[in-house]
Amino acid sequence: MSVAINIENVVKRFGKDTVINGLSLDIKPGEFFTLLGPSGCGKTTLLRMIIGFNSIEGGQIKIDGKVINDIPTNKRNMGMVFQNYAIFPHMSVKDNIAFGLKNRKVSKEEINKKVDEILKIVKIDHLKDRMPQKLSGGQQQRIALARAIVIHPEVLLMDEPLSNLDAKLRTEMRNAIKQIQQQVGITTVYVTHDQEEALAVSDRIAVMNGGVIQQIDTPKHIYQRPANIFVSTFIGLSNVINGVLESNDNGKAQVRIGDYRFTMSNIKKECTQGPVKVSIRPEEFIINKETKEGIPVVVKSSVFLGVATHYFLETKDGQDIEVIQDSDLEELIPNGTLIHLKVQTQKINVFSEDGSRSYIDRGGRA
Amino acid sequence: MNTGKKKLNMWLVLTLGILALFLIFVVFPIGLILYKSILMEDGSISFSYFTKFFSKKFYWSTLINSFKVTIASTFVSAVLGLIMAYLLRSIKIKGSKFLNILIVISYLSPPFIGAYAWVQLLGRNGFITRIINTLFHTQFSGIYGFAGIVLVFSLQSFPLVYMYVSGALKNLDNSLNEAAESLGCSVVQRVWRVIVPLITPTLLASSLLVFMRVFSDFGTPMLIGEGYKTFPVLLYSQFMGEVSTDDHYAAALCVIVIVITLVLFFLQKFIGNRLTYSMSALKPMESQKASGLRNVLAHGFVYMVTLVAVLPQITVISTSFMETRGASYTGKFTLENYKNILMPKNVTTITNTYLFGLAAILLVVILGVLISYLTVRKKSFLTSILDTLTMFPYIIPGSVLGISFLYAFNKKPLLLSGTAIIIIISLCIRRMPYTIRSSTAIIGQISPSIEEAAISLGATERKSFIKVTVPMMMAGVLSGAIMSWITLISELSSSIILYTSKTQTLTVAIYAEVIRSNFGNAAAYSTILTVTSILSLLLFFKVSGNNDISV
Repeated sequence: MSVAINIENVVKRFGKDTVINGLSLDIKPGEFFTLLGPSGCGKTTLLRMIIGFNSIEGGQIKIDGKVINDIPTNKRNMGMVFQNYAIFPHMSVKDNIAFGLKNRKVSKEEINKKVDEILKIVKIDHLKDRMPQKLSGGQQQRIALARAIVIHPEVLLMDEPLSNLDAKLRTEMRNAIKQIQQQVGITTVYVTHDQEEALAVSDRIAVMNGGVIQQIDTPKHIYQRPANIFVSTFIGLSNVINGVLESNDNGKAQVRIGDYRFTMSNIKKECTQGPVKVSIRPEEFIINKETKEGIPVVVKSSVFLGVATHYFLETKDGQDIEVIQDSDLEELIPNGTLIHLKVQTQKINVFSEDGSRSYIDRGGRA
Repeated sequence: MNTGKKKLNMWLVLTLGILALFLIFVVFPIGLILYKSILMEDGSISFSYFTKFFSKKFYWSTLINSFKVTIASTFVSAVLGLIMAYLLRSIKIKGSKFLNILIVISYLSPPFIGAYAWVQLLGRNGFITRIINTLFHTQFSGIYGFAGIVLVFSLQSFPLVYMYVSGALKNLDNSLNEAAESLGCSVVQRVWRVIVPLITPTLLASSLLVFMRVFSDFGTPMLIGEGYKTFPVLLYSQFMGEVSTDDHYAAALCVIVIVITLVLFFLQKFIGNRLTYSMSALKPMESQKASGLRNVLAHGFVYMVTLVAVLPQITVISTSFMETRGASYTGKFTLENYKNILMPKNVTTITNTYLFGLAAILLVVILGVLISYLTVRKKSFLTSILDTLTMFPYIIPGSVLGISFLYAFNKKPLLLSGTAIIIIISLCIRRMPYTIRSSTAIIGQISPSIEEAAISLGATERKSFIKVTVPMMMAGVLSGAIMSWITLISELSSSIILYTSKTQTLTVAIYAEVIRSNFGNAAAYSTILTVTSILSLLLFFKVSGNNDISV
């Protein structure tokens, strides 16, 4: 019963401002799909176009193959969970959840049955007759979720549902949301600016910036093989260093950063020599204390965090570099020490000089 | 929000309907006044009525007089209100809840009742005057004129400043106070350099309310002013005068009042906006026990002021049980006064007051909630016009509104003069800006996503408004409505112009009885009004669940 969502060339204007200009996106049936991006990137705007709170100025949105542009929100059969939960404060937990069912003229017995069922799924059946005002953020969140799911919507939409919760509860709730979504099997569109949250819950993620989709992929690929510099720096932390692609023959590419040369085997064939941006995550460096091979850097400070140790370093051009190493038994490297950094050539990413294209060949994937 | 064209139309129709109402009952009458003020009897257009006003000292001196009493009373009210609010918020005063209620009650009765009560106390033949003259063998002839008017207005209006400032002080975080103290500020410096600047916008806003109220009140100067003629008295006598009435000249006078209040309104807005800070108190100021002389002085001051403020009410209630002979009291207890006013002939006065008040409240609440909803949630060019238009009555004094209504609705097809409808509508319009402002504040606290949630769950816009928004607003709106009700039943300035013998209300009756020197009846009527106000106030406390009042 899960449905697909097809967004085709949609345009959104607020007055004269065009916020989204011809965006397309396909969401598969039953998928947990996340729109991720910095604030103002248009992700919430897009979500509100799907539910119908925002009008659509161009293109179309299809649910299960049917165009929904002109269907009013209250007839779209979508459930939405709001950032501030939007629990009706003058209704009990039960009445909140039954609200949508009553609008659908469901019989009393049926409503009671469904409400009890969903209360068990979201694990708040003991709160059924309470008024929501005195309940905790996590409990209100569960009510909001139950209220949205109980109407058996074709699509479940969530707008930053966890951003008002404290850190511990956020982790707990995001696991709960993921689990409940899988249990119910609804196509879900989730909006967040929190990349860790996105990586944790999503089947696929669309990274957005400035109203444009930068990359659509699984969490693993988004993190490991970002499509451009924006994605590589927005998701996780990346050190972006200027480099040069010196040669690229027979699947062997020579890349140089300063005097440090290394070979890569996954650069696209069509990429020719010239300046590039090399994007290296803090854990993709190898600290070389023995030889002078690698990028020369000076240790500025270090932080021991138990599992890992963070080093803050500086190149001779004055660029800041962050490196994360698994903690070992050796002493921390003292501040002011000159060391050399090598890279794990299989893991790092190389982009065109303007940062817009990835040079990495992913075997047919974009 | 795009949820189908059909639904949008419902709000559009409502907007247009309300807009039409305001065009008929605000823009048309006021426009007519403007037009009349420059229309000569021969049909030509000229400003000669204005020249007439400003060229004769007999006329323009009333304006000077008005400014004098208004500025003096506003100043005294602001100082008294500020001190009372600060003392009651910062020092533990015994019985402060009760005092608070007394202060509010002293504000809720119409000013002219204060004037008439003070004449009973400090007039030529007043209780206190006689005591003074016997004790000190003086020839004190009572307070009339300037001093009398300022006394009555100040005591009557400081509670307004008190309520506003008290509310602002509650939103003032005490850590600001503590920070100032830790930085070496003395108590006086703290008040002067931290607290006063922060509550200045509130002080200004409430002072403006006092100013407009005092400036446009005619009952008080009429009763206690004697020879001291103020502008509203001139306006009233030009319009209602027994000797001669001149509609066009009265219209010109109305225009002068409107211009003055308009200028003041924008001045206050301009200054207020520049000085406003947004504050939210995490830790409100707590009243602390004072000791020694400070404690005694604080208690003495607060109790004194409160007592003097409610003295008119006490006077009125006690004289209502006294036998009168002509204009003087015999000193005997009697229920005669109540018998007089409750005999069948005159009971409509009381029922009228309740009926008109209730009808107006019902209208005000329904329209107020709708208008504020439209202007907050359905922003458009039309609703922004509506927003401005509905605030307009805020600056129009009651007497001006009353006069404009008589001009506008005295012939077909809008023949309303003499009916109950015209009084109800005038009450409704006078109260509208206050209701809209408070409803707007209430809606502002409801997140739009609550309604979106209802719509996403399949409710129509109308249903989400009725089932979700309205119930959430109810508590706030209801307590606002009770306060409106209390103000409406004590309204005089437009009712006195619009009433006929069939549509007489309590305040009009009290005024008429005072003018006829039937003090016993006046006192009995006033007591009924006061008791109604007190009961309504108690109901307000019960409904709103707190002791904070905004008027």
